[in-house]
Amino acid sequence: MIDAQKQLGSFRDPSGFLFYKNGSLYRQVNLVYQKHFDWLMDSGLYENLVAQNLLVSHEEVTPIDFQQPQFANKTIQPEVVDFISYPYEWTFHQLRSAALTTLRIARIALEHGMILKDASAYNLQFHRGHWTLIDTLSFEIYKEGEPWIAYRQFCQHFLAPLALMAYRDTRMGLSSRLFIDGIPLDLAASLLPFRSKLQLGLLTHIHLHSRSQKQYADKAQFAAKGKGEFSRKDLVNLFESLRNSVKSLSMPVPKTEWAHYYEDTNYSETAFEEKKNAVREFIEQVNPNSVWDLGANTGQFSRLASEKGIFTVAFDVDPGAVSQNYFRVRKEREERLLPLVMDLTNPSPGLGWGHQERQSMIDRGPVDLVLALALVHHLAISNNVPLGKISKFLKKISHHLIIEFVPKSDSQVQRLLRSRKDIFENYTVEGFEEAFGYDYDIIQKRSITGSDRTLYLMKAIGQ
Amino acid sequence: MNHNIFLKPLMYLDPGSGSFIIQMLLAGVLGIAVAVRIYWKKIIAFFKRNKTGNIQDQVDEMDEYGEHEVDQPDEKM
Repeated sequence: MIDAQKQLGSFRDPSGFLFYKNGSLYRQVNLVYQKHFDWLMDSGLYENLVAQNLLVSHEEVTPIDFQQPQFANKTIQPEVVDFISYPYEWTFHQLRSAALTTLRIARIALEHGMILKDASAYNLQFHRGHWTLIDTLSFEIYKEGEPWIAYRQFCQHFLAPLALMAYRDTRMGLSSRLFIDGIPLDLAASLLPFRSKLQLGLLTHIHLHSRSQKQYADKAQFAAKGKGEFSRKDLVNLFESLRNSVKSLSMPVPKTEWAHYYEDTNYSETAFEEKKNAVREFIEQVNPNSVWDLGANTGQFSRLASEKGIFTVAFDVDPGAVSQNYFRVRKEREERLLPLVMDLTNPSPGLGWGHQERQSMIDRGPVDLVLALALVHHLAISNNVPLGKISKFLKKISHHLIIEFVPKSDSQVQRLLRSRKDIFENYTVEGFEEAFGYDYDIIQKRSITGSDRTLYLMKAIGQ
Repeated sequence: MNHNIFLKPLMYLDPGSGSFIIQMLLAGVLGIAVAVRIYWKKIIAFFKRNKTGNIQDQVDEMDEYGEHEVDQPDEKM
């Protein structure tokens, strides 16, 4: 039997779907897609894209448990992506990269006589340091004369959120959480300022596009008839125009350097080095397959793991820090680090059909090791989350935990307490150890010389 | 404008038709816009010194053309 967890977000596509069996991921290709699949493989497109890290590779395997066998053609086993992330967890700069990569894939496909039929941002993943298309069934044989079927999707998934972030506020990126198929263009058009109309690309691809949708919404037969030819050249120009539109949108590249952040903290340089060494040692002791660094900032501690080849996700609530981390990953061509935006006080929920098309943060875990450095005081004091609740949450996502306790005497905590009443009686080392003791065994405990902070290595009880 | 929502059953409206038609209308026009932009960029480039230090430009280049054609980025972020 195929696992109940099958299909995830891929069930809408009649070409085929994903499923898990015995812990492995497979994709069924249906008969209806056979000639397109053969073209993908025989035209050299597959080889070309895989060689450039633009498409996940796969192997054809003996057909397994065909579902609806009368429609089934073959089973393939795609390369596994370490962590599936979603556009609302990406910063402006990450989404912009994904958009440009999508257009590049569309251009290459056209050179091989195929059209990219889906331009969903969810089909791209930052995999081993490259933006990679994970849906092998995204291509169809190109028929000259037809406009781009994925045009609307591209505008909704990429152009609209990018424009809203660039013209309004970086937090508009979160609006992708509200709409499973990208930002509706009429909404984007009404939220964008008038000056966005002075940008030719946005004027056409968002404002006029939205007006055209409204105008012809109930006139499907008119479109079906068509009133002309959309040549290959028109298609190339459309891709180029979208590319120009994406590139015309920019947001400042965050400049803050590590030094500034750490000048501000309670660590002297030696204490900081000591903390790094301790974390490094603890990581070696756990020897994890994958790590989540919560509150990772620009990823300095994440790199203690990722530079050892351990796949690491660096979550932070601040898009500026995440973008900075992302640029560093690109610049250094790092392959094992994935920076993402995540607000731990309101983490990504399960979304879409049955809450299962897009997984919640917890559902994508647990991982071998979670790092929670200089984090607890933000959750406990800034956000009033009791220590016991923090421990319960962390236990859901981790087998091991490296966590730093930052006491009230710490100047950072003092700063947080300045603007609020101190109602945190249990916020002491003893209270912390007691609260976490229900869920974790403390394996090691180390005070960091020259600071009041304590570093713990813990193991989840019963795992 | 929006009052249409109350007059028509929303779930039967298809935004796909408009997306097709706008492309048909844009056919040809986009070619001109793209060509104008190419010449405009050439003019700008003529007056502007070639700057390669910007990290966004470097990442753009990787995204658009792949990594092999990119020079080793310089030290400044």
